[in-house]
Amino acid sequence: MKKSHEQELVEEIRLEELEGKENPQVFKGMIKWISRNLKFLFVPGAKIEDLTVRETEYEKSISKRKFIRRLKSTLTIIGIGIIFFIVTLVVFPEWISPYTREELTDFLTGSYSAPSPEHPLGQTEVGRDVLGRLIYGARDSITIALPAILFALFFGIILGVIAAYYGGWVDSVIMRIMDILLAFPGLILVLVFIAIWGRRMEYFILAYGILGIAGYSRLIRGSVLQARELPYVDAARVAGAGNWRIMFRHILPNTIQPIIISFTFDIGGIILSLAGLSFLGFGDSRLIEWGNDISTARAMLYSAPWAAFWPGIMIIITVLGFMLLGDGLRDAFDPRLRNL
Amino acid sequence: MSMLTYLIRRILIMIPVLFGVIAITFFLSRMMPGDPVYSHLGQHWTQEQYDAKAAELGLNLPIIEQFFRYIGDLFTGNWGTSISINEGSEVWDLVWQRFPRTLDLTIFSVLISGFIGVKTGVLSARHRNRPKDTVARGIALVGVSIPVFWMGILLQYLLTYQIPILPSSHFKTAWYPDPEFITGFRLIDSLISGQIYLTIDYLIHLILPVTCLGFITLASITRQTRSSMLEVLEQDYVRTARAKGCKEKDVVHTHALKNALIPTITVIGLNFSGLLTGAILTETTFNFHGIGEMLLASIVASDYYVLSALVFAAALIFIAINLLIDLLYGIVDPRIRY
Repeated sequence: MKKSHEQELVEEIRLEELEGKENPQVFKGMIKWISRNLKFLFVPGAKIEDLTVRETEYEKSISKRKFIRRLKSTLTIIGIGIIFFIVTLVVFPEWISPYTREELTDFLTGSYSAPSPEHPLGQTEVGRDVLGRLIYGARDSITIALPAILFALFFGIILGVIAAYYGGWVDSVIMRIMDILLAFPGLILVLVFIAIWGRRMEYFILAYGILGIAGYSRLIRGSVLQARELPYVDAARVAGAGNWRIMFRHILPNTIQPIIISFTFDIGGIILSLAGLSFLGFGDSRLIEWGNDISTARAMLYSAPWAAFWPGIMIIITVLGFMLLGDGLRDAFDPRLRNL
Repeated sequence: MSMLTYLIRRILIMIPVLFGVIAITFFLSRMMPGDPVYSHLGQHWTQEQYDAKAAELGLNLPIIEQFFRYIGDLFTGNWGTSISINEGSEVWDLVWQRFPRTLDLTIFSVLISGFIGVKTGVLSARHRNRPKDTVARGIALVGVSIPVFWMGILLQYLLTYQIPILPSSHFKTAWYPDPEFITGFRLIDSLISGQIYLTIDYLIHLILPVTCLGFITLASITRQTRSSMLEVLEQDYVRTARAKGCKEKDVVHTHALKNALIPTITVIGLNFSGLLTGAILTETTFNFHGIGEMLLASIVASDYYVLSALVFAAALIFIAINLLIDLLYGIVDPRIRY
C-alpha cells in the first residue's frame, strides 16, 4: 500500500528519535522552533504538517484558538491598546512632539508657565515643555526596563531549570544564593549599587536584572519541580534524549506560562521602581524621567500643580497597560475560568 | 511533626541566608568610595595619625579578620559612628531613635490594608462581575499602578492646600515636645505618660503617609484575595457546604476564607520588601524623619557606617518577616507542617 505523506512523516520522526539525532545548528534550530510555534499559536488556520503530526498529543488546535478568543475581553484590549500607544511613543517621539530632545533638556525661559497653545500642559521649572517630556520619557523608561527584564529572564530561566531539574546540592546552592539576593529589598540594593558605582543607566539595568534573576528562577523552579515527575519526561528519556534536551525542549515550553504572566507584571513594576528612583534624585541625569519631573515640580506644587500632575498620570497609564495585559493573560491561561 | 520542629527547621534554613546577607553587606560597604579613616580625622593630619587611626579601626588587618570583627560588632551593637548625621553620634542610637517611627508607619499600613483588603477581596469574589466587583477591581488596578510619591503629592495638594484639614509633613507639630522615653515608640510613650495631645497629634500626622502606603498594599492584597477566593469558591467542599444548608456567610468566612488566605499571606510577605521601599518614598514625600530618609542621606553623604547598618537591618527585618510568614502558614494550614 502506498504510504500517505503523514505516515512517511511519522516514520521519519520515529527514526530520528531512535537515533537521538541532535540538531547541530543550535541557533538555526531555535529560530525554526520559535517561528513554527508562533505561527501555530497566532494564525488560527495554520496547517504546518510537520508540527501537526509531531505535536498531536497536547495541541488541540481548538484550545489554542480559544485562547486568542479568551484574550479578547474588553479590559485586555484596552491594555494592549495602551501598550501599543506607549510603544509608539517610544519609537516615534519626534513625530508626535513638536520639540526635539535638546529643547526638552535645555534651559529655557517661561518657568512654570500655565498651559498655553504652544505648551498644552504647561512648562516645567526651566521652561521645558511638560507634554514633550511626557512623550520622550516613555523611551527612557522602556530603554531601562526591557533590557533588564530580558537579562533577568534569560539567566533566571536557565538557572531555575537547571536547579529544579538536577535537584540535590545544585538546587540547594542556587536557591540559597537567590534567597540571599531576595533578602534585600529591591530599591535598597539598587541604591547601594548606585552608591558604589555611580548613577549610570547601565548599572540600573544590571541591578534590576540581577534582582529579576532571583525572582524568575524561583518561579520557574516551582513549575519544573512539578513537571519533572510527569510521564513525558520518562518517555523522552527512553527515546534517548539527553538531560539538556529534556530540560529545554520538553519541560521548558510547558512551564513557561507563569513566566509570561510575571514578565508583563514585572515590566510595570520596574517602570514604577525606576520612577521612584529618579524621584529620589538617584536617576541618571542624562535621561528624561517622569519621576524626576515630579520631584523637581514639587517645589512649586501649590502654584503650578500641572508640572507635577501629568508625569504621574503618564506613569499610571503605562503601568496600567501592562497590568491589564498581565491580568488578561492570566485569565486566559487559567483552565478553571471556564466561562469567559 | 510539631510546630516547634517546623519552626526550628525554618530557622536553620535561615542561618546560611543570614550569613550570606552579612557577607554581602560587608563586601558592598567595603567597596563604597570614600576612605573611612579620613572622616574620623580632622582637616590636618599627619601620616602617624592616619596610621594610628587605621590601626584603631582595624583596617590594617587582613580582610577575613576584618570580616569577623565586623560580625562581632554587628551583634554586639557597635555599629560605628556616623560621619554625616549628627556628627559623631553612634549609629545604633540614631537608628533606634528613628526606627520606631518607620515601624509605626509600616505596621499601621499593613494592619489597615490587610483588614480592608481581605474584606474587599472577599466582597469582590462573592459578587463577581457585578458592579461592586467592577468598582473594587478598578480601584485595585489603579492602586497597583500608582506611584506612592505621586499619590502623596496629590493628597498633599488636595487635603493640605485646597481643603486645609491635614498637616502636610513631619510627624509632629514643630514645637511639641517629645514624651518621656519609656519604650521609644512615640505612640506608646505619650499614652503612658498621659500626654494625650501628643498622641492625637502624632496620629493626625500619620494619616496621610499611612493612607498612601496603605492604599497600594491594599490594592495588591485585594487582587490576590479576590483571585484566590475565586479559586476556592469553585471547589467541591464549598458546594458540599452549601448543599448541607450552611448559611452563605458561614460558607465564605468559615470554610472558604481560611483556604484562600494562604496565597494572600504569601503576597503580604513578598510585599513586605515593597513596603520598606514604599516607606522610603513616603518618608521622603512627607518628610517624616524615619529610617528611609536616613538611608538616603547616608547614600548622598557616602556615610559608610550608617548605610551598612541600615542595609543589614533591612535584610534582617525581611528575614524575620519571612520566618513569621512561614510560621503563619504552619498555623493556618495544618498540612504544611509535614
